[in-house]
Order: sequence, then structure tokens, then C-alpha cells
Amino acid sequence: MIDPNAVDVALPRKEYEGEAARPAQSYWNESWERLRSNPVGMGAGVVVLLMVAIALAAPLLSTYVTHHNPYSIDLSATFSMPSKAHWLGSDEAGRDTLTRLIYGAQVTLTVAFLAVAVSLVVGGTVGLVAGFYGGLVDNVLMRFVDVLLSIPAIYLLILLTILQPKIGPIVLSTSDPRSLAVIIAVVGWGGLSRLVRGEVLSVKNRDFMLAARSIGASDLRLISRHLLPNVLAVMIVAASLNVGAVIITESILDFIGLGIQPPTASWGNMLTNAQTYFYHSIWLVLLPGALIFITVLAMNVFGNALRDAFDPRLK
Amino acid sequence: MLAKYILRRVLASIPTFFGVTLVSYFLIWVTAGDIVPGVEINPYIKKEDIDRIRHNLGLDQPFWIQYLNWLGLPNLAAQLHLISGDWPKGILEGEFGRSLIDGSPVITHILDRLPNTLELTITAILLGVLIAIPLGVAGALRRGSKIDHALTALSVAGVAVPSFWLALMLILLFSVQFEQWHLPWLPSGGAYSAYQGGDFLDRVLHLIMPAIVLSFGYLAIWSRFGRSSMLEVLSQDYVRTARAKGMSERRVVYLHALRNALIPLVTLVGLELPSLVSGGAVVEIVFGWPGIGRFALDRAFGHDYTAVMGIVTFAALLVIAGNLLADILYAFLDPRIRYT
Amino acid sequence: MPETLLEVQDLHTVFKTKAGMVKAVDGVSFEINPGETLGIVGESGSGKSVTALSVMRLQRPGKIVSGKVMFKGRDLTKVSEGEMREIRGQDIAMIFQDPMTSLNPVFRTGWQVAEPVRLHHGLDKATAMGVAVSMLGKVGIPSPATRARDYPHQFSGGMRQRAMIAMGLTTTPKVLIADEPTTALDVTIQAQILDLLRNVNRDFGTATILITHNLGVVAGMCERVMVMYAGRVVEAGPTVDVFAHPKHPYTWSLLRSIPRLDAERHEPLKPIEGLPPDLIDLPTGCAFHPRCRFTIERCSRDVPVLNRVGETQLAACWVTQSGTELKGA
Repeated sequence: MIDPNAVDVALPRKEYEGEAARPAQSYWNESWERLRSNPVGMGAGVVVLLMVAIALAAPLLSTYVTHHNPYSIDLSATFSMPSKAHWLGSDEAGRDTLTRLIYGAQVTLTVAFLAVAVSLVVGGTVGLVAGFYGGLVDNVLMRFVDVLLSIPAIYLLILLTILQPKIGPIVLSTSDPRSLAVIIAVVGWGGLSRLVRGEVLSVKNRDFMLAARSIGASDLRLISRHLLPNVLAVMIVAASLNVGAVIITESILDFIGLGIQPPTASWGNMLTNAQTYFYHSIWLVLLPGALIFITVLAMNVFGNALRDAFDPRLK
Repeated sequence: MLAKYILRRVLASIPTFFGVTLVSYFLIWVTAGDIVPGVEINPYIKKEDIDRIRHNLGLDQPFWIQYLNWLGLPNLAAQLHLISGDWPKGILEGEFGRSLIDGSPVITHILDRLPNTLELTITAILLGVLIAIPLGVAGALRRGSKIDHALTALSVAGVAVPSFWLALMLILLFSVQFEQWHLPWLPSGGAYSAYQGGDFLDRVLHLIMPAIVLSFGYLAIWSRFGRSSMLEVLSQDYVRTARAKGMSERRVVYLHALRNALIPLVTLVGLELPSLVSGGAVVEIVFGWPGIGRFALDRAFGHDYTAVMGIVTFAALLVIAGNLLADILYAFLDPRIRYT
Repeated sequence: MPETLLEVQDLHTVFKTKAGMVKAVDGVSFEINPGETLGIVGESGSGKSVTALSVMRLQRPGKIVSGKVMFKGRDLTKVSEGEMREIRGQDIAMIFQDPMTSLNPVFRTGWQVAEPVRLHHGLDKATAMGVAVSMLGKVGIPSPATRARDYPHQFSGGMRQRAMIAMGLTTTPKVLIADEPTTALDVTIQAQILDLLRNVNRDFGTATILITHNLGVVAGMCERVMVMYAGRVVEAGPTVDVFAHPKHPYTWSLLRSIPRLDAERHEPLKPIEGLPPDLIDLPTGCAFHPRCRFTIERCSRDVPVLNRVGETQLAACWVTQSGTELKGA
């Protein structure tokens, strides 16, 4: 038997000047620290929060700040330039542009966040299950996703919006932001499921999964306690980058006339008649698009900052 | 071997083909399966006539039979003399349905407009590639410089710009404003001017703005991707080996490195091949470009479900073909793939 | 006395990092004569690879801040990039550790092997390929003409490394630097590659610098050896002598830490105590002194100079330079 006390263990000597040990931090704390030290990313996050705040406070803002209703028509003040009465001018029916933009934010952001949430849940689940179980389940699910992804989104969206499909008593009518969100989510969850599946595949085979399984963890526990937290970072980043894409998709649908219908304001449908606005007021062409641009940009920059925060190696 | 790889990819596409057609037909069946063409136009039609037409069109058959007919399998089998009888043509023979409005074959409309759409999307992709590669390489070689930061910022911003808004702004500037300022202005819509006869120059003028708008989105992503791909390749061991062999920096970058950096980029560009037909839909709509996308929208507003479905099916099948093409292109470029 | 082929004098190469200035090569001097085999030995981070890269002026993003690399009467740290490129691959060739990642995956192997001789000697494609094929045969690749048309991923690890060696030799360079050529290979293949390098040295007369962390590799292959620690040379001399009676505590501890087949069963292993130093914040005086059991007062004050200790060896150690023998259990 080896006497443990007789063995010369290689411990760092006291006089050796090493680095002072830092307290160990959880992955989430570390990521948050990294995010915090990224001024551009944090700035973008603030812009996003601002947009959300404005959207949520739309009714308050309309009553106390702009003193306009997004629907009130005033044919004596059509296409007015920015003035004290209409801070950002008015549109072809004399409605206040600023107020409509604020309500538009509400519509657009509702659709965007809801759609991403739904596709995250659906796509995430499919990806988790397919990646974790592999074999036939994986094959079938991914084939289905392949088929879904083969159908061009824009056409499928056009089709679904004119069809206004019914699920039981619920009619998915696109003048309702929530329905529109569901439609967009139904068309778009495929990409996310592929992404999650890929991540699951790479995490699944790591040793800690094997270790957990060898002490008898059930499938559900393995997925929820071990797999999910590791895949979560990728999902969050993908989700935040998707929000921007959905905003654009939704705007396109509104612009074409298949999404949110006037008189409900959305940034997209405020541009539907833009070609006629050229000769009356370029503000009406510039402003809604600029807002879409700023919001999507902020969301993308924030999403990139999140990705760098979670995995600095990828930089 | 390259040939075997191609064969395997083709075979793998077949189940997806059937899956897509199945889903497509299911959607058709759910929405328009019961609709008899012409009913909307003729309000006096009697119920017996509707039933008779229904029966003639085979609309009272079970789903599977209708699907197979729509696909055209029985017809194909009959052509190959495997079965007898008179079967209706289907997808496999190029019959993509008939319009609910006038009963004309959808495929004719599609083929009429396909060249226009392709003209637009192919030009846009080429423009995108031709500009993105030099930008990406420049960014990678001058990493961290002001130019690099500017290019990165531009591409991040570029992704956030809604294409239809960009289109509107360009029209505003180059068509409306230029005309007001008495500068030579660009046409704002259509693929060619009817009164000018549509000569080459005319077509090019009409193509400029839509192509630029469409390529813009590609550019933004591809240049960034090209840069990161190039950076990754430049840090590889074989680049160090090439330098150790005394190769000029030019040769190292443009021969040894770029060849490898292009592979992921081509894969990315290849991902757009499948959407050659559908990618330009929004641009087509804004510019009034007579392509398939605009056609689909027009028909959608006209409630011509079968036409829209025909287009969707056609586009989806092209997506599968496009994916196949992209895979083959990839195998051609990266010798390692041919042997998997 | 053969004229010295390559002489490195007091070379300093640094890397700027966020945490500080890393002194990867901190005053390294050595020389190699035609046809000699020199082994550079050290652990990860000792600076052995960076030294070789600095000789080739491939040390980017690091910077050579002082010192000379004399080759054929010229100081390689000062010549133009164009002149350096002519030397690389033609007069001094370098092969690397992992042949899988060191060969370009999209070009055929024969094409890559022929590239140096095609470009440096201006040969046409056919002639260059002929040279390449013949060299592939000489390094022991069967059916070289067929295999030259294969891509790197179609070769096994050992064959790839042979191809890399062939690539380095086509221009018959005066010096071949091999950076850990066997580390990525199986043990049995390692022996074959070392054999090959020995034969190449004998048949072509190429001076070979072999960089490794494996003392066994050095013992089997190199006439002389140089031990590096923390970017400095701590000992140098004929391999036989250095291994038989090491004159630096680091070398001594290294040799002692190798488990022996004839040791007693219960004998505990003898690792080197402590941790490798932080290259940004080196200890004062001798870089090894915090881990050294022979350390005296001077060791923590003055950086030791490489001086003659014993008949054939050089060692940078105050203790052994003052005559003390290295002994211990």
C-alpha cells in the first residue's frame, strides 16, 4: 500500500506568484457580465426596450402626449407637414402620423414576439425530440421539416392569409395580430427546429450526458435538466435574431395588403399606398420604413451581442 | 466518386418530392377541393349540374385517389403501358392545375412569366456574389481597420433594411426626384416599356433598380459571411504551410486561401438557388415586375386558389431541384464531400 | 571545421496580448552546421515552436524585437520579405505537426508537393510533377504516381506526414525544420517517420532541426540537443552527454520524471513540482528557480547566462556553473 503522506504531491508552492483566484461564476452570470461590457449591444437592447415600452404605452401616449386617436379622420388636414398640430404630419385621411406609428409599433411588436415565441416552442420541441431520440423519430420529423422548408415561405404565407384557416371554432383571420403571428409561426418554425436539432446532436454525445444517464436519469430529466440548459443559449440567440426577420415578414404582408388591414395601423400597411405619397408627402414614405429599419437593426445588434456574450469563441 | 454521390442525392430527393406534393395537394384539397370551376361566375347553375360536373371531374373520389390523379401517376403508368384506360394528366406530366377564373392551365402562365423572374433573380444573385466576395476578402485582409468596421456596419445595417422600403426609396429618388430635377431618370415599373419596343437597353434600364434592391439583401449577408470564412481560412495550418513554402502573399491569399473560403460561401449562395423562383416576389410586387411572384399575388387577391396552389407546388418542386443542384455544386468544389 | 550553416544570436520574439507582453522567445542563441541533427526540447509554451517560426520569419502576429538569424552571411531578421520568400521552401524548409490540417484539402497532394520546386526553380508542370512523384517514392509512399493524384484526406496519417516531408525536400534545402513531426501520429508510425528523417539526413545531408517535447524522440534521432524553458535556452550539448549527466536542474528533473521499467513497484513518480511560469510575468532571475530544489540565493536575483559546464555542455544555471553536482533521490 502506498502511504499517501509519503507521496510528493505537486502542489503550487506558496512563494510561486500565480494569478489570484477569481470566484467561480455560473455560465449565465458570466454571459451577463460579457453582455454588460458590450456598449453597442447594451445600447441596442435599450432601443428595443424603448420600442416595447412605447408600444405598450400606446393608449397612454395617444391620450396624454399626442392628443390624437389613430383612427380619427380629418379631411381638412390631409398630408400635412410636421407642425404643432401633427408633430410628424398626417396621412391621406388626415390621421395623425405619430399616433399611428405608435400604435403600429404595438401591432408589429406583438406579432413579432408572439410569432417567435410560438415558433420557439414548436420548433424547439421538435428539434429537441428529433435530436435526442434520433433514429426513426428523427428521420420522420426532419423529413417533415424538409418538406415544410421546401415550400417557399412567401407563397405559403400568401396562401394561408387568403385562406383564413379555421382551427375548430378559432378562425385565423389576418386582421388580428395574434392570428397573423400564429400563421407566421406555423410557416417559420422549421428553421429553428433544424438549428435546435443540430445543437442537441452535438451536446447529446458529450460525456456529461453519458454520466447522467449512467446514474439512472430518465429521458425527461435528461432533456429538461441537462440538455435544455445547454441548448437554451443557442435558442435564445436564434430567437432574438428571428424577431427582426418576423418584423420584416409581417411588414411585407401588411404592405401587400394581406396582413393587418387598415384602418388598424401597422408600419407595413402605412406604406401600402406609398407610391401615391411621393407627390404629397415623403414623410409618409420615410417614417414607417425608418422605424422598421431601426427596430430590426436594434434587434439584430442585440441578438449578435447576445451571441458574443454566450460564446465569445465564435467571434 | 462524383457520379455516385449525385445519384445518391437524387434518390434522396424523391421522398421529399412526394412529401411536398402530398402536402401541396392536401392544402388544395382542404381549400378548393370542392369548388367547381365556373360556379362563381354562373349563379343559375342547377344542383344536378354541379353534381354532374363534380363527378366528371372526379371531385367525389376519396382523397388518395384524387391525390394520385393530381400527381398524374395513373397517366404515367398508362403512358408506360403498365395499365390501360384514359387517365387525366397530372403533375408528373406538367399539369399544375387550372385557374378557377378562366380554366386556363396554370403551367402556361407560370412558364410565360418564369423567364422574367429568372432574369431578375439570377442577375441579383450574380451581382451579390460579384460584389460580396471582394468586399469580404477586403474586410478579412484589413481586419480591424476602419474599412473593415465600415463594411461590417454596412452589412449589419443592410440586413435590417426592409426590401420593399428600399425599393420605394430608390424609386422615389431615381424615378420621381430625378425626373423633377431634370436628370435622366430610371423607369419605376415593369420589365420593359411597351412603347419603346423593349430593346436591350430598355430592358437593362428597367432591370437596374429591382436587381439592386434584390441583391442588396444578399450582399449584406454574403459579404459578412465571406469575411468570416476568409478569416477562418487564413488562420488555418495549410495557409502557414503555403507561406513556409515561400509562396507570395498574393498566391497564398488568392489561390490557397480563397479557394477554401469560397466553399462555405458557395454553399450559402447555393441555398438561394432553390428560391430562384420565389425570392424576388416582394421586389416583383413593388416594381410591378411581370414575374411569377406578382402573378401569385394577383391571383391570390382574385381568390384563384388553384392557380396559387399550382404556383406553390411548382415553386416547391423547384426548391427541391435547386437544393439538389446546390449539393452537386458543393461536391464539385470540395473534394472531401465526394467520398462521403 | 565546417562553416556554420545557421546561427541564431540572442533572439527575442514577443506577442502583444490583452493581458500583457508575452516574451515567447527570450534571448535564444544556437547554431547548426551542415548535415547536423539538432533537437529542440521543451514543454508547451517553452518557445521552441516560436523560435523556429522566427527563423522562418513566420512568427506573426508576434514580433522579432532583437537578435540576429545569420544564414549564408545574411541576417534573416533584416532581409526584405521578397528575399525571405526565396529562402523559405528553398533553402530552409519547415514541416509541421498535423499533416491533416497542414495540407490544403482542396488541392491534389502531388500538386502541393510539386509547388515549391515549380515556383522556386521555375520548372514546368510536368517536370515538377516528376520531381514530386520521385520524392514521394523516396519517402516511402507506394505507387507514388497514382497517389500523387489523391487528395490529402485520402491518405493515412503516416503517409500524409511522409508527403509533407517530401514536400519539404523537393528543393533540396540546406536546413529542414520539423516541428513536432510525430506528435499527431500513432507510436508505431512515429518510429517509421523518425527512421525516414534519419535517412533523409544521411542521404541528402540536410541539416535537421527537430522540435519536440518527447525526450525519447530526441534520443533516437539527434546528435545535439537544446533544452528550452520559458523562452530561454537552459541547456545545450551532445545528446548523449546531456542525457547521461544533465547540467541543468530542469533537464535533470525531466529525465528523472520519466517512469522506468526497472523501477521498484512501489516507487512513487517524481513529477516536477509547481506550475509552468506565466510568460507575461516571469519570475525574477532564473525562470525555473521557484520549482528548483537546488536553488541558491543568486538564482532569484540574476538571470543565468548560458556558459560551459563540463567538457561538452552548456547550461544556464548558477548552481552548476559554480561546480555543484546535481544529485538527489
